[in-house]
Amino acid sequence: MRQYFVNIWQGFTTPLTGMRLTWRRLFKPSVTLQYPEERWELPSNSRMQLFVNMDDCIGCAQCERACPVRCITIETIKAVPDEVEDTTTGHKKRLHVPVFDIDMAKCCYCNLCTYPCPTECIYMTPSFEDAAPDRFDLLYHFTQITPEQAVELEEKSRKFDEAEAAKKAAAEAEKEAAAAAAE
Amino acid sequence: MSTAPANPKIAGDEFRISYERQGDDLILQMGPQHPSTHGVLRLELVMDGELVKQITPHIGYLHRCFEKHAEAMTYPQVIPYTDRMDYLAAMNMELGYVLAVEKLMGLTELPERLEFIRVIMAELQRIASHLLAIGTFGLDVGAITPFLWCFRDREKILDLFEWASGARLLYNYLWIGGVMQDLPDGFGRRALEFMDYFEPNVQELNDLLSFNKIFIERTANIGVMSPEVAISYGVGGPNLRGSGVKWDLRKEEPYGIYDRFDFDVPVGTGEFGPIGSTWDRYIVRVREMLESIKILRQAFDQLPSGDPNGATPRRIRPAAGDAYMRTESPRGEIGFYLVSDGSDKPFRCKGRSPCFTAISAIDAIGRNSLVADAVATVGSLDIVLGEIDR
Repeated sequence: MRQYFVNIWQGFTTPLTGMRLTWRRLFKPSVTLQYPEERWELPSNSRMQLFVNMDDCIGCAQCERACPVRCITIETIKAVPDEVEDTTTGHKKRLHVPVFDIDMAKCCYCNLCTYPCPTECIYMTPSFEDAAPDRFDLLYHFTQITPEQAVELEEKSRKFDEAEAAKKAAAEAEKEAAAAAAE
Repeated sequence: MSTAPANPKIAGDEFRISYERQGDDLILQMGPQHPSTHGVLRLELVMDGELVKQITPHIGYLHRCFEKHAEAMTYPQVIPYTDRMDYLAAMNMELGYVLAVEKLMGLTELPERLEFIRVIMAELQRIASHLLAIGTFGLDVGAITPFLWCFRDREKILDLFEWASGARLLYNYLWIGGVMQDLPDGFGRRALEFMDYFEPNVQELNDLLSFNKIFIERTANIGVMSPEVAISYGVGGPNLRGSGVKWDLRKEEPYGIYDRFDFDVPVGTGEFGPIGSTWDRYIVRVREMLESIKILRQAFDQLPSGDPNGATPRRIRPAAGDAYMRTESPRGEIGFYLVSDGSDKPFRCKGRSPCFTAISAIDAIGRNSLVADAVATVGSLDIVLGEIDR
């Protein structure tokens, strides 16, 4: 019988305690932000959209190998010696990169690709408002080389290789001829 | 000469959805798209009126071939996958996996600061995970305000994680023999500020929800898991401790530097009903958050300076062999069994999931209850389907 009244008493008082708390909460400032108008500040190391600074990319494809979901695609063309430029970090750009695609729809934002990069040209930026209506819009092309230029470069590279091979063969033949003459 | 059976049973027949009545009973499908199943879980309830006679959980809706994927990845590349196993306690999953790889490699000499950072991250994540468990359990039984308040506090922890690692939920922060980057300057101060802010909030939560008479009456007599049932099903973590079994791997089998900290292991005592009720499991989580704060305060007091990445191995290529490591995650005992064939990829990676054992006990503890109580029972187990299905 006593327990019955205790239960009723607690049934009244404990919800009232809760109501007191929620009532007090009413007069405290709101913790929510009205997102498009108000924004919170993201830390500078936030891992959102990937970005590649192609001026510094040397085409080593280490990021491609580090990616656990294989969202990076890199294709390279060997550069001829007079085209080799320096990056801002002092590395030689021995390869042209006609294809550097990142499929952000596949990316798992794990940051594993940014650590092996020798020139620190691939990094994650705090920009996160890059939603797209189509999945294929999320395939980002970073290269600055157009397909026509790529064909040209490939041709040039091939010719250079052929010329080198011819030179080498000529030198070899000369050497052999000299050896034959000596005999 | 063997004869084929007259009515060959089709493989997988027992898993087929049956909509027919079985006698007087009705088969009720709860899920996969049900807000109270905490993910994509299908429960097949055999109903006798409002009474649940049998519960059969059907899993696999979130199966992402994690274990098979791991065989094609190098050891560090698996860490983002472990994040996605238990996305509410990603730090603890990383810790379990990383410790397993270190055991496989025989890597024991680690910088002091790294060990402390691991404990700090694991305990902060434990609080965040328990906050979500408490909030959603309240939501399951009809209390909406605590859910919002828990999320408000959890956001603050996620802010801390974002500051340290750059990500809010899937961190890839704890690496094999190191961390992604050292804690930022002033992390300890901000974390201590959070704890000073958070401790009174736990009291508030107790006043608002835990000791609310309506909530107690709703939860303290249902979903009773006796210690025998809990142990025989291999349930771990707060679910096991809610049944009054004092078993915490941080105490029983200390990994890392957990043996240096002074903390208690709260267990369910059956204050308002039988031991092992949903309320007991709930209150164990609330009390564990306070214990985590105790550990965090000690850790921040002793946090040494130095380079946490001092002993990071450059090449991760363990010798052929195998290793099993179990750690205490917010949901119980997670284990990783790794087999190495000497290459840089695991030959086999097996995850032992605490939620799987918890959901397997649902029939034993949810039988002969009402549908509404079955919802509360599932909510109190705090399951994450990403980890069950992997």
